[in-house]
Amino acid sequence: MIDLTPRKLHLLDSYEDGRDARHFSFRIDFPQAHDLATMPGQFFMLAVPGVGEAPFTYVSPPNLYGHFNALIRRMGNLTDALFALRPGDTLGYRGPFGKGWPLFFSPRRVLVVAGGCGLAPLAGLIDEASREHLSSRLSVVYGARRDEDQILARERLRWKLAIPFIETLDDAAAGQRRGTPLDHFDEVFATVQPDTLLCCGPESLMLGAARASVEHGIQPSRIWVSLERRMHCGVGLCGHCYIGASYACLDGPTYRYDRFLALTGATDSCAAPALQRC
Amino acid sequence: MNVVPSVCTFCGVGCGIGLRVENDRVVGVEPQPGHPVSQGQLCAKGWSTSFAIDAGHRLTRPLIKEHGRFRPASWDEALERVANEFGVARDAAGPTAVGVISCARATNEDNYAAQKFARAVLGTHNIDHCARICHSPSVAGLVRTLGSGAMTNGIADIDLADVILVIGADVTENHAMIGARMLRAQARGARLIVIDPRRTRLARLADIHLQPRLGTNIALLNGLLQIILANGWENSAFLASRCEDTGPLRHHLSDVTPERTSAKTGIAVADLEEVARLYSQARAAYLAYGMGITQFQSGTNNVIAVSNLALACGQVGRPGTGINPLRGQNNVQGACDMGCLPNVYPGYQDASALAVQARFGEAWSVTSPVTPGLTSLGMTRAARDGALRALMIIGEDPVLTDPDQNQVAHALGALDFLVVLELSMTETARLADVVLPAASFAEKDGTFTNCERRVQRVRRAVTPPGEAKADWKILAELAVRMGYPGMDWEDAEAVFDEMALLTPIFSAMTYARLDEHHGLQWPCDAARPQGSPFLHEERFPLGKGRLLPVTNVAPDECPDAEYPFFLTTHRLHFQYGGGSMTRHSPLLEREIPAGLLSMHPDDGGALGLHDRQAVRVRSRRGELETRVRLTDEVPRGTVAMPYHFREAPCNRLTNDAQDPITHMPELKACAVAVEGLPAGEAPNAEAGAAEVIRHVHS
Amino acid sequence: MSTHELAEVERLRRHLAQSRRLYEVRDDGQGGRHWQEVGPKDFTPLEPEGDPPPFSAKLFFFAERELLFRFDGGQFYSSLPEVRPQAIFGLHACDLQAIAYQDRFFAQDPHYQARRHATLLVGVECRESCSNGFCSLVESGPLVGDGLADLVLVRRDDARGWWLRVGSAAGAEAIRELRLPTNLDGCQATRESNAARVALAQLHDRELLDGVAALNAGQVSADTWETLGTHCFGCSGCTQVCPTCSCFAPLEQVGASGEVQHERVWDSCLYEGFQAEASGHNPSASPGQRVQRFWLHKFGEPFREQFGHYGCVGCGRCDRVCPGGIGVHGVIGEVGRP
Repeated sequence: MIDLTPRKLHLLDSYEDGRDARHFSFRIDFPQAHDLATMPGQFFMLAVPGVGEAPFTYVSPPNLYGHFNALIRRMGNLTDALFALRPGDTLGYRGPFGKGWPLFFSPRRVLVVAGGCGLAPLAGLIDEASREHLSSRLSVVYGARRDEDQILARERLRWKLAIPFIETLDDAAAGQRRGTPLDHFDEVFATVQPDTLLCCGPESLMLGAARASVEHGIQPSRIWVSLERRMHCGVGLCGHCYIGASYACLDGPTYRYDRFLALTGATDSCAAPALQRC
Repeated sequence: MNVVPSVCTFCGVGCGIGLRVENDRVVGVEPQPGHPVSQGQLCAKGWSTSFAIDAGHRLTRPLIKEHGRFRPASWDEALERVANEFGVARDAAGPTAVGVISCARATNEDNYAAQKFARAVLGTHNIDHCARICHSPSVAGLVRTLGSGAMTNGIADIDLADVILVIGADVTENHAMIGARMLRAQARGARLIVIDPRRTRLARLADIHLQPRLGTNIALLNGLLQIILANGWENSAFLASRCEDTGPLRHHLSDVTPERTSAKTGIAVADLEEVARLYSQARAAYLAYGMGITQFQSGTNNVIAVSNLALACGQVGRPGTGINPLRGQNNVQGACDMGCLPNVYPGYQDASALAVQARFGEAWSVTSPVTPGLTSLGMTRAARDGALRALMIIGEDPVLTDPDQNQVAHALGALDFLVVLELSMTETARLADVVLPAASFAEKDGTFTNCERRVQRVRRAVTPPGEAKADWKILAELAVRMGYPGMDWEDAEAVFDEMALLTPIFSAMTYARLDEHHGLQWPCDAARPQGSPFLHEERFPLGKGRLLPVTNVAPDECPDAEYPFFLTTHRLHFQYGGGSMTRHSPLLEREIPAGLLSMHPDDGGALGLHDRQAVRVRSRRGELETRVRLTDEVPRGTVAMPYHFREAPCNRLTNDAQDPITHMPELKACAVAVEGLPAGEAPNAEAGAAEVIRHVHS
Repeated sequence: MSTHELAEVERLRRHLAQSRRLYEVRDDGQGGRHWQEVGPKDFTPLEPEGDPPPFSAKLFFFAERELLFRFDGGQFYSSLPEVRPQAIFGLHACDLQAIAYQDRFFAQDPHYQARRHATLLVGVECRESCSNGFCSLVESGPLVGDGLADLVLVRRDDARGWWLRVGSAAGAEAIRELRLPTNLDGCQATRESNAARVALAQLHDRELLDGVAALNAGQVSADTWETLGTHCFGCSGCTQVCPTCSCFAPLEQVGASGEVQHERVWDSCLYEGFQAEASGHNPSASPGQRVQRFWLHKFGEPFREQFGHYGCVGCGRCDRVCPGGIGVHGVIGEVGRP
């Protein structure tokens, strides 16, 4: 039987990391073995007592002591309440949930495309790659509207030393790259020739990046996107995170692009134009 | 688990619901398939009933304010305080210095008790309720033309109509089960015509949608009438036998032409002619209207213009026809019927008539007051001027729902004493000196009267939370403390029986008979023991119907260079009133659109606004911030806001210019300016609220 | 499993009500028909025929408001419902099929299972089709499928008594003390003729199958969905009464003492806010998309593959409850028309 009751979580610390965003450190009370099995790209349900629960992704997965990090942007009631808390305050935790990114670096050349806060779910994976000296295998293109919208400032400094890491801004100042990640695809494909795409960001960016990658020769079955959906239970019961006949909390949030297309195309013909709109 | 039959409280339609009770708590509702009004269906609000009356957010003990803060108190102490304060105010300044604002959501029994408390205990006709701001023009207008202000026909008459004409009513959103019935009628072949400046759901689904300029109702209705008369489409036999001379009206319309009507209203001549023909030539045409008619400074005249059209075509007094004002609150009809109006006793018995005063004086063993009473807005003004000292407000939230919010808060702040009977802590209750916890409809016995005059039973399904009590019971205990023994009823049924005894149009009603018949429609008396599904079959209360000449009056405030947009107000399907009930549902709360200000995309484009951008809306009276929603539901030049939300209270902007006859404020039209806030900025719910907040704390 | 002779069905009801709470559909005299508790001394005759009640039995298991956990400021405490043995008496085949569907969906849900395990299901097989039903077309009735009920009542053709079919060990145990004689003579023939009669009466609804085919073939245009969507008031009635609908939303309330109660409450995918994210992004922003979603969930092949049955059991409740006229006949009946 599943248990929908949160476990106790301690807020250790937080610091500002991007506009309206904070980088939180948490500690799970009495971490368990399965906490260590958390994969980059999975998510957890954070309970702010008195307000409710919402899904967030890990920047770094829980370690032996139950410590983990998450980057959270202020969006509504729950995050307003979270941002008002202090170190030491008690929260609730359920997770890990869902499917993370595929981990198959060795023979592959992986392109990571992230937009705005979409860098957060990819952070654990980029960390792993940069630690394990897979720099030749992984490159990142990170887009944001303006520089204050960029997140994970400390991590990006570190990553830039280890792997090819392109940053691009919609409103760029002199000396900065301008445009969306897509605007730099020709250059990226010419230099690193990726055969795999991992993408997280606004749905329009992900679908655009996926389509452009297919045009550049990546197989749809070698593209992964991470979908955002409203979620309440995390265990495939509440029904909110449906994508066609699939629930993002069980089968996602990371979907292989061809499967995602099958889900939305085959059973959701009317959803496709909506996705392109956003 | 058990299920207790009851009546939905979220609008005037009066749908049948079963309250599903588990462990003395309402956990859900079921529709009543055999209910004559709702036929087994409900709207989103009805389905969410359990959240509205959840004990979690309810007041459970009397509260007394000390040094600006509420503290719990015993009933004894709180009632003693209220009795004393009312006594002091009355002794110092006479019975005209005290008043009661009753509640269109409370039961008939509560409302009967409220007006009896005002008249028999306080000795004043200062008793009113919110009908003032929804349908007082319907009552005034239809009393002038027919002699009676209620819906002339029932909801089931929709099934018998071959034309349905809806004017200024967003029926699928606000009276959803009537809207549903209209759509079913359309599906079986009836023609559905909607007249509304907004492109509502019903307008989109209608066979014909006329979209007049805001504030041109009379021009449009006069124009339709002129076309009908010019073509000889009127019902001459009906006019001859049932109505007074139409000469003055014909003369009044002599310089109206279809072209002039078209120029004034913005509707094509061909469309005007088509609607005039369809409505006048229908075998049975059902006319329904809402606050798009009444909430204007010309509200009463608007109603008269509606009545003229229906009378001229003889679309009254038969099944499937009628002039049908769609009432807002679940018991606004009942609160009027019970005499919670300054000018009438229960059953619309004239409060200024000596015989009526004598009758009630004798029945209640008191000397009846003779000084005419004040309306609720009159009481607000008197409070501001220091003439009204102590006020009781039962279950209403005028700080949120009345026009010109700053003035209302200021007036309530100027009172010596304010007591509020409420389910939960509302904006108005925060201003009170004493707050008394009231029982909800699921926690007491009683009756509601829906908009088609159907009196229906509600039943106690669960225990009130904490120490909450039925309003009539609170009033009865207060009366005893103030030295009046005549309200010491055994139970709600005893209140009803007393009322029925004194109210001719209810005289054949008892709880048992209401149960037997799924409710009864008044008049229900010895001559009509089964009630009256429709009115005026043979004659009008006035004798003959009157067609009165009326002229279009532009809104008091029209757009100009400084305030270039018309603002109109409306309601959402998912919310009710100030949200004190509906906003406790997590599901209805989630349905609140991000943008509360609706604006045509072209206007948005001209202002450089994008969808959901934060905007500041200003009128001459106040300002607020919200987000804009770009939609073609509104025409160019007109913006619209729902009035439910304390974060963006559009009544801070609206104009309190009033209908001279009923003092209905012109909530449907005023002039505003809209400006975008910088991209990325969120609207500030506190913007423009400074003055209101100051009153709250004073 | 065995089949018994039962002269008086009310005797069975009184017997079952002695050791458990027993619920049966009753008229409330005010136009409503509800599941109401019936005591062991109740002699009211069973009225087995007619339309199913406005609500199926799902509310007994998937409670419309269920406390999931509490938080006292320091700790979270899970909360399981206090259950007492109960019997649901007189369930039609369609509703039993729906329970089986939800049993599968909520297989790992402790709240659902706690309530479900405390319940004895007593079915009754319909002899006539109800007014909106089409159970025979979606293989959910009128005969109660094997293993879907603990006990099943079959009325004799001569209306003189009943057969009682035992469907589970719990069912057998519940009637053991009654010592009913075993007899299945004619039972199967009666059931077969009931099935044929109901199927014949529902034959005119075969157009629904064309609608299901069109739906699954993606032949319904986005414009058609949006037109249907304009008729959707967003009332949530269909999802409330649908016996297989299972979506829920959280409701967190803080009590006077500061204790937090976290409930789950029934939700509806027809609400605009159902998928709206905090950012404002809404993957199902248009009413047409939401109407389409609802029907795909009921009739989509991928769901049928997962659950072994359509999400629609053919009870017709959505037709009755929809103010916009877009229940199953109003949608599936229409979209299949050429």
